[in-house]
Amino acid sequence: MPRLMSGIDVGLLLWRAQFRMFINQTLRSRKPGRIVGTIVGAAIIVLAWAWEALITGVAVAAAHRFHAQIEVAHLLSLAFLGYTAVLVFSSLVFSLNALLLNPDLDLLLAAPRPVASILAGRMVLQVLRLFLLSLLFTAPALVVLAFANHNPLIPIVFSALYLLYPVFVVVIISLMSLLLVRFIPAGRGREILTLFGVALAVGINVLNFLLNPALRDSGFARRSLPLSLPDIPGASAPWLPSGWAGRSAAAALGGDWLTAIGWAFVLLAVSAVIFTVGTALSGRLYLAGWIQAVPPRRRKVAARGRRLRGAIPLLSPVLASIVIKDWRMRTRDLAQLVRFAMPVVFLFVIFGLRFPRLLSSVQGLGAGPAAAMLGLVPAWVLLFSLSLSLGLSAVSLEGQSIWVYAASPNTTLRFLEGKCWSAVLPTGVFVALVALVGESLIRPGWIWAATAVLLVVAQAASVTTLMVGIGAVFARFDWTDARRMMHPAGVFIGMALFAIITGASALLLAISLALAGATHFPLITTWLAAVTISVGGGVAVAALGLLVGNDHLRGLELG
Amino acid sequence: MLSTRLLTKRYGSLTAVEDLDLEISAGELFGFLGPNGAGKTTTIKMLVGLLRPTSGTAQVAGIDIMAEPEKAKARIGYVPDAATLYDKLSGREFLEFSGDLYHVEPRLRDRRIGALLKLFDLEQRGNDFLSGYSRGMRQKVSLAAALLHDPQVLFLDEPTVGLDPQSARQMKDILQDFCKEGKTVFFSTHILEIAERMCTRLAIINHGRLVAIGSLQDLRHMVGQDGQSLEQIFLELTGSREEDVSAVLRGLES
Repeated sequence: MPRLMSGIDVGLLLWRAQFRMFINQTLRSRKPGRIVGTIVGAAIIVLAWAWEALITGVAVAAAHRFHAQIEVAHLLSLAFLGYTAVLVFSSLVFSLNALLLNPDLDLLLAAPRPVASILAGRMVLQVLRLFLLSLLFTAPALVVLAFANHNPLIPIVFSALYLLYPVFVVVIISLMSLLLVRFIPAGRGREILTLFGVALAVGINVLNFLLNPALRDSGFARRSLPLSLPDIPGASAPWLPSGWAGRSAAAALGGDWLTAIGWAFVLLAVSAVIFTVGTALSGRLYLAGWIQAVPPRRRKVAARGRRLRGAIPLLSPVLASIVIKDWRMRTRDLAQLVRFAMPVVFLFVIFGLRFPRLLSSVQGLGAGPAAAMLGLVPAWVLLFSLSLSLGLSAVSLEGQSIWVYAASPNTTLRFLEGKCWSAVLPTGVFVALVALVGESLIRPGWIWAATAVLLVVAQAASVTTLMVGIGAVFARFDWTDARRMMHPAGVFIGMALFAIITGASALLLAISLALAGATHFPLITTWLAAVTISVGGGVAVAALGLLVGNDHLRGLELG
Repeated sequence: MLSTRLLTKRYGSLTAVEDLDLEISAGELFGFLGPNGAGKTTTIKMLVGLLRPTSGTAQVAGIDIMAEPEKAKARIGYVPDAATLYDKLSGREFLEFSGDLYHVEPRLRDRRIGALLKLFDLEQRGNDFLSGYSRGMRQKVSLAAALLHDPQVLFLDEPTVGLDPQSARQMKDILQDFCKEGKTVFFSTHILEIAERMCTRLAIINHGRLVAIGSLQDLRHMVGQDGQSLEQIFLELTGSREEDVSAVLRGLES
């Protein structure tokens, strides 16, 4: 019990420290940009809350009018089960960072408190964060429901469930992380956990695709089928925490406060037991971990690695060295590799599993530029993901090692040039491959296919270059966690510009088809003109982005 | 080889370095001393072109670091205090990358990398990732990278931190050999014994201002007491706090 109380105490201490850091970095930062950003962020949250309250009010009014037959307990159980997937993911990342990346763990462990209480404190912190996040997203809806149903119990029960429900997931995932980190070779913990995360993400997506009735049809035929909600019948089972939480929440909504408190109490009791056992186990696991005493494994140089030491044709040694170094960083560090591999994996999940139906739908269009454009859709999806993940992060990838480059006798423009190559080459190659496969399967005619592939490759180069420029403007060099490499504003601007450029390009191509029909110009002439203008515009925007990025980088003191 | 004139760096109302005048010749091993927060790292970062001075000028190997930064940097080697390296590159790969950045011809680069890895006893670990290196080994890799392009001036910020006695001795020998070739070493350190033994001249900076410069003998004359150790001179010039410390410690006991 003392360990448990000490753990809660440490958790609250950490929470206070994080809250202070948040205030210091925002409202007390004395930086006008950050203060304005915080105020704007708060205003957006208030607006979103108002919108959520409005929608909830409309939904409640509609429900009163139509008396829809819905199994509320099952629906809410399903929602809690879905929330479990989010909890697993976020807890995994949090535990991993807490154990391997955050530099304060040694500081905390040096404090005169039991190891178990420090680790329990981390779990408490994570539960508190999830609790507040849940409230952030649903508080207005809960308040509106309380007023609409004249039932003040609703926000109270839901808040209790938000606090209790994450406990078992956070504890189990923390124990698993501890097992992995303390009992596997040093330096591999992060990679294995990342791999585990990737497998989990892919698994969840594939299962969702295979089991979710809403996704079973081909997509093209969806409109003809009735809408169906994803369902997992076991979600409301009385032996699952999602079932307890769902029943408690449903009872609270129905005004049956005895049942609501009863199921919440079951959740509380089980959470308390799991937290107590988890705290004791975590301390023992941490102390029993033996791997830190083992020296890192010696590395054997593969023959392939030797070949990479050479230059890249047509690139100067400086540019080639940046490209090779970035390639090594991205492929050796799994946190980076995920950025690279996930878009390809998701492309496979999205398109690969529905491939036969999609292909038969598109092949019906016959030859011509319209079919060629449809064949580019997978390449565009991949381009979107890769240009954002590789382009926007290219400059920030240097992190605190930026001094190596800043101290070298090269201009920032040269550095950016190298970064462009390091992002454009893999993006261009993968996008070209996917476009080639798409066009060769659809067979829209070789001239249309060739120009379509050329167009998407040129777009890959220009859009990725633009992203490198945006990434330079919003560069972050102080990250220790790869998730913080990219600035949210940079991502937002990058996505908006990608949409504008590809949208304008698609519009130009559509106009070229319409123009050929209206004026009887040869279709190939208008098509090629549209492709040329589209490529030219993309290149001009990319060059501009690069110059702005260079100008910004030159103004920084990269020491 | 290295000169600064009224070199100043301000961060808003805080003056980190003020009106720094230095003149360092070729072949000198120059020690730059000062208490924590005195402005040593800021000065070095300005001299290697990582920070822009608020005012004043700095020339390295006769080249203005502000006017022609790339030309000057080609003649500079730099080892930061806590060098952040690319953890997922091997020591050898990092040196290759560094050589390419400094425009070292590939065959010469590979030959030098072999020699430097041997010099720093890293031959056996050259293909291991930097994430597995100890702090001392990382420091050695940083120094090897700084020497790879054969610079004329070497800047080192606290180079002996994390080094075992053998490695510290090895570094001292390497730096002295480097200076014998007519090149210049500018290094900051807290370890006054090392500075006392190695440096041909020393400068002491406090609160961003240069308080003394010269050989150890010059500094002794300056404080007016021959035979004093560098530590005594340093404490005298930067303000000894022994009495304050004793008073605080007594206060903690009560």
